Amino acid sequence: MKSKSTFTVKALCKSFSGLKAVDDVSLRLETGEILGLIGPNGSGKTTLINIMTGMLPKDSGQVTIDEHDISEMPAYKVPSYGLVRTYQTIRLFKNLSCLENAVIGAIGVGIKRREATRLAAELLEELGLGYKMDLPAQGLTFRDQRLLEIARALAAKPKFLLLDEPAAGLNEEETDELLALLKPMPENKNVGIIIVDHDMRLIMSLCNRLHVLNYGKTIAEGLPEDVRKNPEVVKAYLGSAAS
Amino acid sequence: MNMKDFIKDLDFSRKSSTVVFLIAILVLIGAFIWWLNIPFIEDIFTNGTIMLIMVLGFQLFMGNSGILNWSYVGYVGIGAFASAIFSMTPALKALQIPTMYPFLISLHLPFPLALIAGALVAMIVAALVAWPLMRLSDSVGAITQFALLIVINVLLSQWSQVTNGPRTFTLGGTRLTSFWLVLGVAVLVIILVYCYKESSLGLKLRATRDDRYAARSSGINFVAVRYVAYVASAGIGGLAGGLYSHYILSITAASFYLNELFLLLSMLVIGGSMSVSGAFFGTLLVTLLRQGLRQVELFLYKTGFEASGSAEIVVAIILIAFLIWRPNGITGGRELTWQSIKRMLPIASEKKDPISNNLKKEEKA
Repeated sequence: MKSKSTFTVKALCKSFSGLKAVDDVSLRLETGEILGLIGPNGSGKTTLINIMTGMLPKDSGQVTIDEHDISEMPAYKVPSYGLVRTYQTIRLFKNLSCLENAVIGAIGVGIKRREATRLAAELLEELGLGYKMDLPAQGLTFRDQRLLEIARALAAKPKFLLLDEPAAGLNEEETDELLALLKPMPENKNVGIIIVDHDMRLIMSLCNRLHVLNYGKTIAEGLPEDVRKNPEVVKAYLGSAAS
Repeated sequence: MNMKDFIKDLDFSRKSSTVVFLIAILVLIGAFIWWLNIPFIEDIFTNGTIMLIMVLGFQLFMGNSGILNWSYVGYVGIGAFASAIFSMTPALKALQIPTMYPFLISLHLPFPLALIAGALVAMIVAALVAWPLMRLSDSVGAITQFALLIVINVLLSQWSQVTNGPRTFTLGGTRLTSFWLVLGVAVLVIILVYCYKESSLGLKLRATRDDRYAARSSGINFVAVRYVAYVASAGIGGLAGGLYSHYILSITAASFYLNELFLLLSMLVIGGSMSVSGAFFGTLLVTLLRQGLRQVELFLYKTGFEASGSAEIVVAIILIAFLIWRPNGITGGRELTWQSIKRMLPIASEKKDPISNNLKKEEKA
């Protein structure tokens, strides 16, 4: 009964003054899956995310959700088609209350205010931020800011969620919490997740599949166990962390 | 969005107290001054309330978008001149401003309609010029708004066939803006500006103020959201301008330029630009302060000491002090609500810490 959607990237390219930041990258994700997007620093992950969400124009290629090509759209229309992102450097509306932050996520995709408030309050309760609803976002701890950003993204009822380094700045305990939060999310929220992170422990225990970039190119994709054994990946990125 | 949804969108049970408090304070002060029946004080109140309407319109865009809106006072001027042109009789206009275009001379509307028409003219001008400016933010946004103010000011001060050019534009006739009219309009504008701020549209604009990238990736078209607020803000400014010109009865383009803008800015910033309560208390405080200082100036003058302009200096220094030590103004950018008053009272049984308060609420629930 859950509706299935497909997110695809086809032959996406982007250069900055001759340097190919994203070079012919293709990937595919269904709702209910978690895809790990990994690669060393400067491998084009952030550029890829920015193009997928319409923040940067592409050179060529396609980004589609079901039959809609979202790469031609202005960034503010992308969430309405089901793709929402979070930021590595947390971006919250710091003078607004936690509730208002989450409400924005919902009204941004056209959900009516009442329903938006209900949905936002529910999500904050779910993520354990319920008792901070009326506090301004700028007073939150780092961990809570991360959670609030995720709540805001979920309030848009996305089909696909793009998490840009959600574990950056979290300690081990908090990362475990994040893992426990994200693991059942594809099932519970009927959402597909693309996660970028350097925390291999998180990536390995969370993702159904991995997609590895280096110098803007796909160097490996597949099941986590297979990818970590791939010699090119080991050479380019995992290094001693994998062994 | 229809009006019913708009009202429903507001979380009235918790937040409507702000509007009630602000209106109650304004009306009580007004009633008291009416009862005192001293023309000098009534004049200060009426002028101050016109300023309040201007500051509220200023807050609507600047406070919620975070863009320093220099051009605002230009729209106040446009509303002031336009409403005067609409309300004056053709005979009076032909006498006062013989250079005026004949089609403008022939225009004539009753005063209340002229006020609304003046506000509409300001909104139309804003709607025509604003779209390309709304994508600019931060200092670039402020600089373009400043340049726009220069354009508006030059037009107001040089277009002899419309504004009588650099000469004084005298409305003649009787003073149409009354004490109670200004008070009534101020009450309406308080409600309007507050409802806007709390509406979905206002919330979206406040989101773009805090982080426009995050706003964009949350589905907000910041150019469109800003545009609506900018035009609405110009409308309130134009309305206030109309009230002003029909109260003062003689205006020049210089009345709507940097001095006036500085005053509006200091009121809004000292009060706290992010809240309607900030606009309200900032106007109240600066008005009282300036009147007090003016009395001191007069007193010094009588004792043979020339101190004119010192009021402006004091206000400017206070503005600087606020920007250094309390950039969110006396209200801290928050609204005056029943909860905030309870928190300030020393006898309050609940702890001041909002976290523990909320925890308690959770336990009860």
